[in-house]
Amino acid sequence: MADSINQMNRRLFLHIPTAFLILFFVLPLIALVILSFWQTENYKIVRDWTTMNYVTLATETAYITFFVRSLVMAVLVSICLVLLSWPIAYFIVRYGGRYRLIFSLLLAVPFLSGEVLRLIALQGMLGPAGLINGALMRVGAAPLRFIMYSNSATFIAFVYLYLPITVTAIYLSLLNFDLRLASAASACGAGRVRVFLEIIWPLNLSGTIVGFLLCFIPTLSASLAPRFLGGPNGTLYGMSMAQQFGESGTWALGAAMGVVLVLFSIAALVILSLGVNLRRSGFTGLGRQ
Amino acid sequence: MDMLAVKYFAVKWSMGVILILAYAFLYMPIVHILFASLSSHPNFPYPPEFNPASYVRLTTNTIYQSAFVNSLIIATCTSILATVMGLLATVGVLRFGGKRALLYAIFFAGPLFVSEILLGISSMSLYYLVFELQGNMVTAVIANSVHCFSFCFLIMAAMLYKYDWRMNEAAIVCGATPIRAFIEVMLPLTWSGILGSLIVAFVLSLNGLDISFYLLGATPTMPSVAWGALRYGVKPELYALSSIINIAVFVAIIGLYFKVRAQPSAAG
Repeated sequence: MADSINQMNRRLFLHIPTAFLILFFVLPLIALVILSFWQTENYKIVRDWTTMNYVTLATETAYITFFVRSLVMAVLVSICLVLLSWPIAYFIVRYGGRYRLIFSLLLAVPFLSGEVLRLIALQGMLGPAGLINGALMRVGAAPLRFIMYSNSATFIAFVYLYLPITVTAIYLSLLNFDLRLASAASACGAGRVRVFLEIIWPLNLSGTIVGFLLCFIPTLSASLAPRFLGGPNGTLYGMSMAQQFGESGTWALGAAMGVVLVLFSIAALVILSLGVNLRRSGFTGLGRQ
Repeated sequence: MDMLAVKYFAVKWSMGVILILAYAFLYMPIVHILFASLSSHPNFPYPPEFNPASYVRLTTNTIYQSAFVNSLIIATCTSILATVMGLLATVGVLRFGGKRALLYAIFFAGPLFVSEILLGISSMSLYYLVFELQGNMVTAVIANSVHCFSFCFLIMAAMLYKYDWRMNEAAIVCGATPIRAFIEVMLPLTWSGILGSLIVAFVLSLNGLDISFYLLGATPTMPSVAWGALRYGVKPELYALSSIINIAVFVAIIGLYFKVRAQPSAAG
């Protein structure tokens, strides 16, 4: 009796969200794959199976350039963010004390105010008449050209956009990490660097990888930041994809670009998670009694 | 020994300096556009002044008003749908997950690893191009909910992680129906997590451009109006709008902080 109620509950609680995700998350992705094998002619879909979209993507130099630029950008941004987020998260966990919560919530404010509004704010800082160049010109100095409509402006924008989420991922990982392990290693005579390299880093590797992926994946397919801040040589893959769905109306080609982005995101996920031994990185199951 | 203390101090405060610089980096643009929205010369609003003209213009602009109403509807429906789904998923994984809990948890966190623009484009492919459905608010709410669902699931899972399910069973043994046990036992103990999830889903879908943009077509939402305005030159009204949203988010987060702090962790 109790068993059958448990079974019913289980079905309800797990199957409703699962069905929701399959219908509205998995199915659209399948639709994207199907669309990428069709064609668009004169703003109309032609339902003929063809691999022409992928051939175009693999041979046209423009698309290859966009993709390589996106990939390099995403790798650089993610590495920079992980390096930047570690000391911040570590400081909050180690020395935050009773201010931990306020520190972590203060990260949420910029994150929640939305990509468009944050880009507007950043434009107010970096643009030709923005805070930095405005101040430089006030004191009679030459404006910094490299932060106006260039790839470095896009880079700054990505760091700005995804800093909160990377710090939060590493923060949550460190929060669940038992700092007494580090103390124990110190007590046994390990130096600070060795404690970090052999205890703290490996035990928080999975959280770090989640943080890395949470900025790598959106950066790889970003369309707004490069479009607005990237300037003439700043076209990224995601921006080009958005244009296929917008101005050019070549949806099938855009869908193929989407499939490429999803595949590369999955590849990054798989490659990075292969490097993690869950047990070694402090994962102890879901900890039910 | 003294040398070690100095080194310790240096490491600690170099991390502290990075933290302070990072927060300054995050907040400087927000403060800058707050000043810009209140200034009569928005390009370089220093020294700051207090001139509410752009806020007055904002209240008389009908495009922003209809966009605001649309965004509000989407955000309200999305936050409720995503939180209900997220709560079901959380209870399912934590209480009934059994050996497959981890598998379900990874699946439920999946949308986090597909970027918003891909979610928007793939949903559009499904609805418009395969089923030939016109874009409407329902599809936009559903697609936004998928994106917010993972956040809701993770927030509530973090809050409910240490919840003692025996309390529900005790209530049921004492004669309560499962629904009454939920409302009278579980809800009072876990509402901070549920509230946090509602707020995050609401704000994310209020401000997200990519998903709504591809699923709504011509229906204006706040981010899409802001994006349109951005392409034809930023106006002070836009600064005013984004300052209002930033302040509202700030107030909500601070309110959440005090609520969480006032309530001793009953779940633990």
